[in-house]
Amino acid sequence: MADENLVRPVLKHRAPGVGFYLSVLVLILLAGSAAHGDEPSEAPTLSALITMFDSSRCRECHEKIYDQWEKSHHARPLMGLADHVFLASYLKRGPIAVKPGEKATRKNFPCLKCHLPQFKYATDVVAAEMAEAIVKDDKATLRKLNISCLVCHNEKAVVHGRPEPNVLYGSKDLPDHPGQAIKKSPLLKDSLMCGQCHGLGPNLEFETPVQCATLYGSYLHAYIPSGGTETCQECHMKEGHYMPPDFNQREQLSERLRTSLPMEVHTLAYSFQPKEGDITPMVVVKTKISSKAGHRIPDG
Amino acid sequence: MVLEVTANAGDGKEIFRTSKFYMSQATDARSSQMVLGPDKKLGFIRDTSIQPFAPKEETFEIALPQGIADAVLEINLSYQPRPGNIYPIHKVVKTVSLGQP
Repeated sequence: MADENLVRPVLKHRAPGVGFYLSVLVLILLAGSAAHGDEPSEAPTLSALITMFDSSRCRECHEKIYDQWEKSHHARPLMGLADHVFLASYLKRGPIAVKPGEKATRKNFPCLKCHLPQFKYATDVVAAEMAEAIVKDDKATLRKLNISCLVCHNEKAVVHGRPEPNVLYGSKDLPDHPGQAIKKSPLLKDSLMCGQCHGLGPNLEFETPVQCATLYGSYLHAYIPSGGTETCQECHMKEGHYMPPDFNQREQLSERLRTSLPMEVHTLAYSFQPKEGDITPMVVVKTKISSKAGHRIPDG
Repeated sequence: MVLEVTANAGDGKEIFRTSKFYMSQATDARSSQMVLGPDKKLGFIRDTSIQPFAPKEETFEIALPQGIADAVLEINLSYQPRPGNIYPIHKVVKTVSLGQP
């Protein structure tokens, strides 16, 4: 039964098919010592990593939520605007580029701490496979690497100790939830949930340190000290698991920024005369941009 | 975030143009040169981004050339995460006139 502790919950009730047999293969490969709450073993292949966190079964009962998520950036975290595979340029040049003649390793992927949290279970073999998919612009594979239901509702759902295997975490206890029991995790409604990835500052734990999102740091050190009381979820989950902003929806993003950043403009036209007879036609423009956001803008 | 202010004379000739950049700014902690990209940035050396509960107020003084009493002002606020990738936010156009002295 130790096998069950090694695989993500959704696999347990996967309908027999290619995915099922892949799951069995993963179970066999991962068979080891993981006990209740221990770190799962590493995924030996990219395919195994995809299978470990495949959440497609959730759609069967949670179609609306799944559809919302599928449109979100969380469903394509390795892609930017218009599905551009942004990591390709970083792997080709710059501090985290793969050295000529060498294969990529985990060290080339500090970005995946947040862009693909399950990468923590990847081996160097997986890293090399992933780099190949990225450089080849293999979007079909890269779309399967996402911040899935299991990332937030298991892997990242608790911060005090490890999440329990074969348990999903939600807003309330549901012991009879089909497939896997749901346990309540208050973290899911706390800004810290989002702050795990939406950043405090430099990530110095890597051999090549990186800095991407710093939004949670801004929330903690600018918004909260100024009296802010809302959570990330209250502003960004009004539309469920779609979680805007969506940078691919240009009009929608412009409107969101327009609402979040009201701007006033005042003008004055007059003749400036600092000295007798020294007259300059002058226009003064005063602008005031306020922010209704709970963090600096821009940030991520 | 970029705030751009332009003033044109009545004949369309540009009199004034300036920009303000609202963004956190980082180096790679190896030199004083600002860097771009998450693979290079480490820490901030300056932060002009728009902060919660802290309105950004600017004053632009535009001296008009002698003989020009009217100007068309255009104030644009936009989000420009990459060169050429512009999300418009606000556009305000105002015509101002000093009138007759």
